[in-house]
Amino acid sequence: MNAIEVSHLSKRFGALTALDDISFSVSEGETFGFLGPNGAGKTTTIRILTGISYPTSGTATIFGHDIGRDTIAARQSMGIVSETSNVYDDLTAWQNMIFSAELYHVGRYEREKKATELLTTFDLYERRNDKVHGFSKGMKRRLTIAMGLVNSPRLLFLDEPTSGLDVQSNLIIRDVITGLIHEGVTVFLTTHNIEEANLMCDRVAIVNRGIIAAIDAPERLKNTIQSVQSVVVSFDHSSAQQLDEIHHLSMVNDAIKEGDKFRLYTEDPATVIESVMAYAHTRNLRVTSISTLGPSLEDVFIRLTGLQRTGGAIHAID
Amino acid sequence: MPSTEEGKAGAWFARFSHEISAAWAISRKDMITYYIKPNIIVMGILFPFFMFLAFAIGKNAPPGTLIPGLIAITLLFSASSIEPVSIPIERRVKTFDRLLSAPISLHSLVFGESISGFLYSLGIACFPLIVGIILFATPIEHAPVLVIAMALTAFCFATLGTLFAAYPTENVGEVMSILNTVRLPLIFISGVFIPLSAMPQIGQEIALFSPLTYGNDMIVYAYTGTSLFSPLLDILALVIFILIFQFAANRLYKKFNE
Ligand SMILES: Nc1ncnc2c1ncn2[C@@H]1O[C@H](COP(=O)(O)OP(=O)(O)O)[C@@H](O)[C@H]1O
Ligand SMILES: [Mg+2]
Repeated sequence: MNAIEVSHLSKRFGALTALDDISFSVSEGETFGFLGPNGAGKTTTIRILTGISYPTSGTATIFGHDIGRDTIAARQSMGIVSETSNVYDDLTAWQNMIFSAELYHVGRYEREKKATELLTTFDLYERRNDKVHGFSKGMKRRLTIAMGLVNSPRLLFLDEPTSGLDVQSNLIIRDVITGLIHEGVTVFLTTHNIEEANLMCDRVAIVNRGIIAAIDAPERLKNTIQSVQSVVVSFDHSSAQQLDEIHHLSMVNDAIKEGDKFRLYTEDPATVIESVMAYAHTRNLRVTSISTLGPSLEDVFIRLTGLQRTGGAIHAID
Repeated sequence: MPSTEEGKAGAWFARFSHEISAAWAISRKDMITYYIKPNIIVMGILFPFFMFLAFAIGKNAPPGTLIPGLIAITLLFSASSIEPVSIPIERRVKTFDRLLSAPISLHSLVFGESISGFLYSLGIACFPLIVGIILFATPIEHAPVLVIAMALTAFCFATLGTLFAAYPTENVGEVMSILNTVRLPLIFISGVFIPLSAMPQIGQEIALFSPLTYGNDMIVYAYTGTSLFSPLLDILALVIFILIFQFAANRLYKKFNE
């Protein structure tokens, strides 16, 4: 049985079509990523799959339970981590955990055990008796995720789990999610962070304007645009006009500056390497490193969504 | 293996007890979080008190006889003030999504929200009750009837508050002003300040549609032993209002969930 089965789902808000006839399925144990820019329809999809919002048309089932007709059964096995860290500021971390457990009918003994365990994992146990009011953004995020796990869900919805967080919180969160994946928990994750999708997901759906542009494993998505390759080069001196000059070398389709390196997009890396070496020679520059790269998930993403590359690399499209 | 009938009954009972405990968890959360919010203290405690003072001063009835009416409007204002504050706030900080996405029936959510208003107003209404006993030695003819009357009235208005809080806004003031256009007129047409017999025909007819009429009537009966309707009719009317509000709230929360 599939963990999630979505069939011809559409959602309109007045004149705006937020989701346009999307279909996909997620099998049990899979980590499935919904990757797309802001406004793509990621949160709308999660709200429908968790039964908070209703589709305009189409159906969705969770472990075989229709989310519209068999809502309570469908929800019992899911954990939900929403985009905003929706914790109760006037309750303590502990009270938040217990409240969440009570909503999911977790028994008294089990919920205290689970709350202790999760607060420890998320490095919040020492602060368990403090009101959440004074917590940092990262702490609230961690608490939100801990609350989503208190019923030991088989399916976890994560809406942008690590967006805009500090490094420590990010590391803990990624670690925990990786652990859950090992335990066989199905994870549905939305993100606009391409690297996150690439690292964590078995399969990724690229969504834009309510449409799924492609669904596949990250590596297979990259293979679909093998023609986009790149040469990464760095010189011993760099100056402002270099980017413009190498942009105009033969066979270079696009050039961007990535830190102290330049990345040149091409269909013909061999020719580009030759012309870069020649360019270095005429300008009296030494090439300190040069390598060729296949397409990144970001390239696939940009190709499929038609987004523009703006200056540096677009790792997170904020 | 139990028979399927027994199994069904068992599953139904487990489901029911889950729903009740979730509803209770929701109301406990409200109690910790919202009982002391300034908005609620002003609308739930101070407002009915001053409202009443304003009217009591103009009358030359002995103050003790005003206690039943004071209890009735205290119940109205305090019970219906919790949810119209808590729910818009929870919409704004998105904790409301937690409640909407929990594996519980929407009825339990509505019921749980109402319980917190119910308990709050019973607590608040103890003040006029105790003031009546201590300061004015107001006699209570039927104490058990008073308990039932206060409980039903409180629950009815708590559910009314939950119903109005279904209005899909993140702004507390918006719900409050809509609610006030309903509950302020209620105190004038329900026999609290002006006896129903002193009202014109049309007023008396409108009064039949106000739950406060029955709540007030039953509280007056508990104090004095005389009333317009029988206490049984008052109970029936209040229960019907509670059911109407509960089901209407359930429908509206569903509808406004887009
Ligand atoms: N409640 C709503 N009313 C009207 N429009 C909405 C509502 N929720 C989302 N939208 C619109 O639907 C589109 C998709 O939004 P959303 O799913 O939140 O995007 P994402 O999570 O991918 O950033 C956006 O254009 C957004 O403005
Ligand atoms: Mg979103």
